[in-house]
Amino acid sequence: MSFFSRLRNSLHSRRLDQELGEEMRDHLERRVAQLREQGFGAEDAQRQAALRFGNITQLREKSRDIRLLAPLEAMLQDTRYAWRGMRKSPAFAVTAVLSLALAIGANTAIYSIVDAAMLRPLPVPESEQLFTLAWPSPFDGAVGPGQSAERDQFSYPTYLRFIAAKPPARLAMISFQARAEAQGPEPGAPREKLLKQYISGNAFEILGVAPAVGRLIAREDDHLRSGNAVAVLSHDYWRRRFHRDPGIVGKTLHIDGKAYEICGVARDGFFGIEPGRFVDVWLPSALYDSQAFTEPGWNWLRIVGRLARGASREQVTAQLQPAFHDFQLEQVNRWSTIPAAIRKQFTEAVLRVHPGANGASDFRKTFAKPLWIVLGLTLAVLLIACANVASLLLARLSARSREMAMRLSLGAARGRLVRQLLTESLLLASLAGAAGWLLAQWAAPVLVRALSSDRDPLRFVLALDSRVLLFSIAVSTLAAVLFGLLPAWQSSRTPPIEALRSSAGQAGKLRLGRFLVGIQVACAFCLVMGGAAFLFSLRNLMAVDAGFDPRGVAVLDINGGESKKPAASERQLMHELRKRIAVQPGVEAAAVASWSIFAGGGWTSQVFLPGQAPSQQQEIFYNVSPGYFAALRTPLLAGRDFAVGDGGLAEPIAVIVNQAFARKYFGGANPLGREFRAPPQGPGLLRHVVVGLASNAHYSDLRTDAEPIVYVPLVGNDQWFTLYVRSPLALGSVARLVEREAQAMEPGSRVSEMTTLETLVGNTILRERLLAGVGGAFAFLGLVLAAIGLFGLLNYSVARRTKEIGIRAALGAGRSALVRLILKDLLALMGGGLVAGLAGSLAIMRIFQSLLFGVRPADPLVMAAAAAVFVTAGLVAGGLPARRAAAVDPMVALRQD
Amino acid sequence: MANTNSAQSALDLLILTVLDRRGPLHGYGIATFIEDLSKEALRVEEGSLYPALHRMEELGWIAAEWRVTENKRRARVYQITRTGKQRLAAEAERWASFSTGVARVLRHA
Repeated sequence: MSFFSRLRNSLHSRRLDQELGEEMRDHLERRVAQLREQGFGAEDAQRQAALRFGNITQLREKSRDIRLLAPLEAMLQDTRYAWRGMRKSPAFAVTAVLSLALAIGANTAIYSIVDAAMLRPLPVPESEQLFTLAWPSPFDGAVGPGQSAERDQFSYPTYLRFIAAKPPARLAMISFQARAEAQGPEPGAPREKLLKQYISGNAFEILGVAPAVGRLIAREDDHLRSGNAVAVLSHDYWRRRFHRDPGIVGKTLHIDGKAYEICGVARDGFFGIEPGRFVDVWLPSALYDSQAFTEPGWNWLRIVGRLARGASREQVTAQLQPAFHDFQLEQVNRWSTIPAAIRKQFTEAVLRVHPGANGASDFRKTFAKPLWIVLGLTLAVLLIACANVASLLLARLSARSREMAMRLSLGAARGRLVRQLLTESLLLASLAGAAGWLLAQWAAPVLVRALSSDRDPLRFVLALDSRVLLFSIAVSTLAAVLFGLLPAWQSSRTPPIEALRSSAGQAGKLRLGRFLVGIQVACAFCLVMGGAAFLFSLRNLMAVDAGFDPRGVAVLDINGGESKKPAASERQLMHELRKRIAVQPGVEAAAVASWSIFAGGGWTSQVFLPGQAPSQQQEIFYNVSPGYFAALRTPLLAGRDFAVGDGGLAEPIAVIVNQAFARKYFGGANPLGREFRAPPQGPGLLRHVVVGLASNAHYSDLRTDAEPIVYVPLVGNDQWFTLYVRSPLALGSVARLVEREAQAMEPGSRVSEMTTLETLVGNTILRERLLAGVGGAFAFLGLVLAAIGLFGLLNYSVARRTKEIGIRAALGAGRSALVRLILKDLLALMGGGLVAGLAGSLAIMRIFQSLLFGVRPADPLVMAAAAAVFVTAGLVAGGLPARRAAAVDPMVALRQD
Repeated sequence: MANTNSAQSALDLLILTVLDRRGPLHGYGIATFIEDLSKEALRVEEGSLYPALHRMEELGWIAAEWRVTENKRRARVYQITRTGKQRLAAEAERWASFSTGVARVLRHA
């Protein structure tokens, strides 16, 4: 009863006051009535009763303190007071809350992504015991931007060696998740895309994942080479696709044409080991391509382990490293043509055992740094917003300084005043925090969608949960203290007598205001520089000549039917389909290739020139049909295009090389007719003869210089291929048209993926788009906030100097002189901040450097652009106060005060 | 609470006793009873009764509610609770031993 009644009384303190008053008045009235009965006169009775009662005010206060929670009540009173104050100046309140809400919302949104992608542990028990394995690979950067200096791919034979080394841990193997085509158990179920992952029988057990329904893949599934194929659904997929059907176990799911019996559903929340990628279906690793279990160079799996109790990662490294070294040495020795440098890298490679609590992630390799940078940008925006609100508060306080001084003189405690002011700040921050929270709920998924592509969908658990909420609250509180404490301290420090003497005592406030504006200018300049650098970087990247024309090219992956045919007839089908499509109305050109450029796939190989050592580097080999160069508008500079007769593995294989290849291997001499050897997609070295020279074209990345490429004819050992169609038609109609033709030729063949070349190229610069978009937006936001701050302070300064300006005007200063006066003030205000901002941004640009393209750390163009934008904003902010100064009427100004 | 000061605990004891013996009463009623019974020997400021009442209410020794009393006046009426009764027993015993102790010293010293 006690605490709650006191809480209730605190919330309704006015009612409590009434009750107390009424109770004591009742007592007095009864006493007066009794005294009157005893014969006292009306006045005497009143006085007597009051005398006997004691000091009524004091007693009431005493009772009041007993019956409510005094600190809470004071806080509520402060809050009510602050609320009333904000209602009285809505413009101030809206500006402050809005700018803070934008900043807090941006911080929360970015943090929620950073948290989901990088900080949050996998949702499995004791995730801190998990680890992942990786090694520095010598072939990095050869294919695609996704590859980094570290590889976490291993082959099955390596995995077996690691197990045999008996580390103090349990090891599971988990394949890279791959897109697959599935067909549900219902009759006539449509084909759908999903993510599949092969997983060893001990993986669920090691990760500590239990089934929600049925059973998970277990050890016995490791031995079912050709037995029952089973599949485990993720909880998310089960809910999404099968509406939590409990009878799902035992039904059949077709994945990439093969039938799997659904044996269970993994528990809710488990999405695999890679944040950002939600696996839909897990299959036993034993069902993976059988060649992958013997081929030591086929790196198709990740190795995830759980430490034994009390064991350390160092112990695991110590056990595994010798096994890894032996294995690498054996591989290198089998490979006779290996260049010495690469051989050294292979044999000296040191296995790395990383903490695995956060899982493994390719997304992190590309986006970890950009996300941290973006979080840094949002913090800068927050700092600007705080400084902005602080100066707004300061301006408001100077309007209220007399009131404050009055309250101080009347005996209000300084601490109480500071608390009052801080309550106002906290109220502002909590309103802004709530609005920011809502903003983040909208913005975070939008950002994730911007980083996601159709072929590579990205999903995060963006539950804005307690971690993110805590972050948001922490940021809001920090902001409140930042912007609230300085003005509060400043105002309580002013001796009341000075404040009462009007304009004196304001100099300190102006100084603090200048400091705050300095912070805003510095941060905003850094943001503008960063934003400009990222925008220039994206522009440079988009201006890169890809070497082909990606506009209006549909890219269709064709699945040419279930039946496997000889390579020659497979090749025949491809050529036939290409010809049929090329003559369709609305189609300008068509070409076939083994896979699409800019889609991450590829084949690389060493090149063996006659009489020379094997090439140090792996070069790109790419199978294309006749008409490829015409369809992609890559100029063929010399020689001939492929013909239908080219193809297969008959020696010599006719190839077309690009300029980069010709320069590298033939030293710029005419490459036509030159020969080299290379291992094609098979064993042995085959003779290749150059029949054509193509212009340089990018293959997987716009950032690199044009890579050497060897174009080879189609082989036809696969019934999957890619069709390029140049057509002004919409993608959907092209796909329908192609599917119709393909089915007419070969029943069962169909389009399994469709996209445009522009999209594929665009997907490789998502990171730059993110940085340019978000960086540009934050730069703009920071600039606007800083301009508002600048405007506010100048305006205040003009108002304060009205008298001085009036005197100057009266003494004959012209309008231009007055404007100059204010602009000088503006320059003085901006100067310090600009210098700090310039120094800061130059330091920051060093951090950004690895993410920039064609922009130097101290790029004069970027700096000039940033400065121009900044000066323009400054002039706009300063222009209005300057006009106001110029319009001061000396007579009015001098009559003030 | 027991050792705060004897004046306060004496007042508590008196209030609890009155409420225990006479049933529910408003503040004025309690004050007049104490004055009458103690033959005006214990004449405290009447007002100090109220903080004491409110404190004991918060402690849960007594309960209060607004009631309409004689001649249609609203009054806050207090009533002893079970905790209050236990408290009264303990407090009375303590007071008795304290006063016999004091009496003994006065007699034999």
